[in-house]
Amino acid sequence: MEETRVVQGTWDISTFKFRIEGVGLRRMLDGMKEGKLVGTRCHKCGTVYLPGPFYCRKCHIEINEPTEVSDHGEIMTYTIGYADVRGNPLDEPRIAPVVKLDGCDSWIMGVLQGVKPEDVHVGMRVKVQWAEERTGSLQDMAYYVPE
Amino acid sequence: MRNVGIVGIGYTPVFVSKRKDVNISEMISEAVEAAFSNTGLGPKDIDAVVFGNMHTFEGVNLPHLWAADYIASLGKPLMRIATGGTTGMSAFHAGYYHIASGLHDVVMVVTYEKQSEGDSQVGLMGIITPEVMAMIAAGIDVTGGSGMGAIGGGSAGGISFQASSYLHHSGAGIEHIDEQAALERRNAAKNPYAHLKDPDATAEKVAQTPLVSWPIRFGHICPTSDGATVAILASEKAAARITEKAAWVHAVANCASDATTANLIESQITDPAEHLPAIIASRQAYERAGIADPKKEIDYVEIYNGFAHQALMYLEKIGMCEVGEAHKLQEAGELEMSGRMPVNASGGVVSTNAIGTSAMNRVTECALQILGQAGEHQVEKDVHKAVAHGWGGMMQYVTITVLGDKPKKD
Ligand SMILES: [Zn+2]
Repeated sequence: MEETRVVQGTWDISTFKFRIEGVGLRRMLDGMKEGKLVGTRCHKCGTVYLPGPFYCRKCHIEINEPTEVSDHGEIMTYTIGYADVRGNPLDEPRIAPVVKLDGCDSWIMGVLQGVKPEDVHVGMRVKVQWAEERTGSLQDMAYYVPE
Repeated sequence: MRNVGIVGIGYTPVFVSKRKDVNISEMISEAVEAAFSNTGLGPKDIDAVVFGNMHTFEGVNLPHLWAADYIASLGKPLMRIATGGTTGMSAFHAGYYHIASGLHDVVMVVTYEKQSEGDSQVGLMGIITPEVMAMIAAGIDVTGGSGMGAIGGGSAGGISFQASSYLHHSGAGIEHIDEQAALERRNAAKNPYAHLKDPDATAEKVAQTPLVSWPIRFGHICPTSDGATVAILASEKAAARITEKAAWVHAVANCASDATTANLIESQITDPAEHLPAIIASRQAYERAGIADPKKEIDYVEIYNGFAHQALMYLEKIGMCEVGEAHKLQEAGELEMSGRMPVNASGGVVSTNAIGTSAMNRVTECALQILGQAGEHQVEKDVHKAVAHGWGGMMQYVTITVLGDKPKKD
């Protein structure tokens, strides 16, 4: 380790308060407690976002219309991970799709289970597997499984 | 707007993993001196300086002020530009604006990165910190085990979604990414300023490197490099005093869209392989340059490809071929130095990535091809017009520069 000096330290991330968690995310988390996915619809162009931003990314106007979207959807793109965030090999490759849920225009990432890496493909139909105990956290959407 | 020409280029003697023999300022000064000796100019000839490197990568907050003595900027206008991977071309554009506006006549653009002195992964983390912190607050598992915590590590993780979508829409296979990496590492072997060189690179060899995040392999990914690049720009009148032959700016353009991938909280809506900014910026640049059909009128292309698939993907985005055609041109050998549409004869970013210089080098490499000064990696065909592409920001920002062998006519 002649070339690299390792400095031990900690980073108190609880001090970070980002206002990025807006009304749309709160609406989504509250809905998830009841097993619902509630996004926000633009009243002008009809685009549906999950979680909803406070403005429409196409019309650049403020939006605030709750809209429920389906927990079924389609894989738009995906990757397969072979190592964890520390670089250690995983026992099983991890499939991470980006999914367009029915009735929603934005895409949302997740983990896909119940399918072999060689069988996953763009356009594949999947559904949300909800956590058994829902607490209003992003963890409530446990993972995706084939429809 | 006045015409602006590139009248001088200077590189550090090498682009390598670790320059331990020099500090940041000393390394930059090597490129400055090279640009001066290539042009016969000196500090007294420079009206203003633009400086560019990545934010925070070396942990030095104001490198342009530390290096002030070394970049001929004492007592002169100086600004630093940082836009992510595109930094080098944004700095070049700022130099262009200085002269095109009529404010200055001779401007030096200085770009560098000394990645060995910092932690690039920490620097990249800084880009997505607000997103990640908000995700943690909302209960996400950022280790990626469950829920929506499917973010890969650094840009390789995010970019794999782009590569995967590109393969789906283009009909290309992972073997075309392997071949593009091999092609560019072979080109790099002919460029004395490239970092990863392999004259015998083949798709088969690249295919043996481990998968990092499907479909991205280790062999598809750029290195972290130390190096600096300087360009001296001049107005038409000043250029006539300095050189007989300059590479002329015909158009600049840039465009941003929503932050692709990892942007959970604000609702990602863009296909990471759609890359609207590349489409919009390139079309604007062609219009400004008076180019009706880039396929016919552009002779040479430098694409910013931190990951090998991006050379193919962006050729399609910037209108150099149809969607789904880039990998077929590759199969036909048209992307090679001897081909009809040579791309990244320099070896591209996938071979050399001192990030602050990387988007700038796309421009300087186009200029060298136009000037016929690329040496061993000079392409076979004549190059009259070339297009340089930069990619960066939070993955969603693109810069474009069109160069020609003559000043642009009004
Ligand atoms: Zn709208």
